[in-house]
Amino acid sequence: MADLAPEDVRRLAASLSLPLTGDDAAEIAHRLNAFLDALAALDALPLEQVEPWPTRHERIA
Amino acid sequence: MADPPRENRVSRAGDDLAFAGAARQAALIREKRVSPVELVTTYLERIDRFDGRLRAFITICRENALAEAARAEAEAAKGAWRGPLHGIPFAVKDQVDTAGVLTTSGSALLRANVPGADSTVVERLKSAGAILLGKLNLTEFALGGTIRFPYGQPRNPWNPEHDPGSSSSGSGIAAAAGLCSMTLGEDTGGSVRSPASYCGAVGLRPTWGRVSRHGCFPAAWSMDQIGPLTRTVEDAALVLGIIAGYDPRDPLTSRSAVPDYRAALTGGAKGLRIGIIAELVAGADTQAEVRSAVRDAARGLAGLGASVEDISLPLIPFSGAVFMALCDSEAAGRHKRWLSERADEYDHGTRRRLVTAGLIPAAAVHRAALARALIREQVLAALAKHDLLLAPTSPHPAPAIASHTAPVTSKEDAAARFFGRRSYTTPASLAGVPAISVPCGFTAGGLPIGLQLIGRPFAESTILSAAHAWEETAGITNRRPALSAAGGAL
Repeated sequence: MADLAPEDVRRLAASLSLPLTGDDAAEIAHRLNAFLDALAALDALPLEQVEPWPTRHERIA
Repeated sequence: MADPPRENRVSRAGDDLAFAGAARQAALIREKRVSPVELVTTYLERIDRFDGRLRAFITICRENALAEAARAEAEAAKGAWRGPLHGIPFAVKDQVDTAGVLTTSGSALLRANVPGADSTVVERLKSAGAILLGKLNLTEFALGGTIRFPYGQPRNPWNPEHDPGSSSSGSGIAAAAGLCSMTLGEDTGGSVRSPASYCGAVGLRPTWGRVSRHGCFPAAWSMDQIGPLTRTVEDAALVLGIIAGYDPRDPLTSRSAVPDYRAALTGGAKGLRIGIIAELVAGADTQAEVRSAVRDAARGLAGLGASVEDISLPLIPFSGAVFMALCDSEAAGRHKRWLSERADEYDHGTRRRLVTAGLIPAAAVHRAALARALIREQVLAALAKHDLLLAPTSPHPAPAIASHTAPVTSKEDAAARFFGRRSYTTPASLAGVPAISVPCGFTAGGLPIGLQLIGRPFAESTILSAAHAWEETAGITNRRPALSAAGGAL
């Protein structure tokens, strides 16, 4: 997937009413592209074999 | 309190009393060799001398602490002991509610927030006789990445130009610099263990559900956990024994019985099976001095009778990004209204982190939740074969503060800054298992290095026992930062 540009970030943030000021868009684009790359790498894992329960319920209450 | 014979009293001169640790101080108070007023006064004087630069504290409860100390002293004179921490001064991360005392979560947004009631952990420490000395600095809303701290830049006591770790920054500083007897922090993805590692303190993240989170501003519900930051492993055991246990105000706390953690300290390391996480010890991100110190510690534990071997957990390198996707997206949801209405009151580092998280696609967050389940399974499978997992707490010692404040210049820079380091502490958070950071050495430049021991769910006793055995052998926690009156290391 192509990296998002600062202008993409401005459009997305505006559509979600998220605040941007100054040079936020450039840095947020770097941060968001890092996330998207890292999370795309998870596609190589057997994610279909698990359910996303986060805690050890058998030991709680 | 009637004065004991002069020769039996412990002098406040020098640093010995300040660095004695909570368990030892509690014994000295019982023996009437130190009074609670002496102890509180010792710390208030040290805070006045050193905290102007270190900035561990946001609020100092001076008058109230002295009044409580006088009351504790009068009670002790009558033989009326409140509990095992009678007269012991403590401080808590400012993310944790304290009745009638400013509680900011490190943010300007909460600069006037004064809770009406104590959190459960503070209530329990007070019931055990402890005295609230103050509230401790942190990265904004315990998220990490703060650029400008609204209540002062916290600094590492071993070198004030270096980071003290986050997010429980003030808790690590105060424990390591002898500014109070013991502290509490909160660990979502490493926020107790990282300051412990950078500052040369002991930091314990308990099993998720072991300690009540009632009255603690949340970061990520399924990982938040309050834990002690102390000078010694014994103090961590003492504090955990007091704050742990079921709380009806936090329905996700466990009803499991709370063991006597201090009694378990005599267990040593003999016979324990310890797996060294190869991806973290031998990984390219791990600096040579850190790798060497951690390998030495592993050999030390083997010398104490543990069976130690390298193991591979190949999913570990995904942990940092998985953790941040889950934690940050939750935080972005929690802060949505304030971000819309009061954006300019956030530090811009926090604001950028929250806005970034608000733009991550929901499907990607869901896949991170699935990956978390795989990581947890891998960690628990390793713990089925080993009593403990061993790794560095951080790939490097405390970095320079200036390295945090520079702008992010590329996605590679972002990944290295935000995901890499977190892959060392977040596996325990994602798995919900307990972990401790204990000092295991110093760099040539004099910065502490932390050893991390990860245990099975609710097996804090095993972690504490092994860490205590290592601490006794290494003697590293006896080393103290040489503070200047201006507040930094000499």
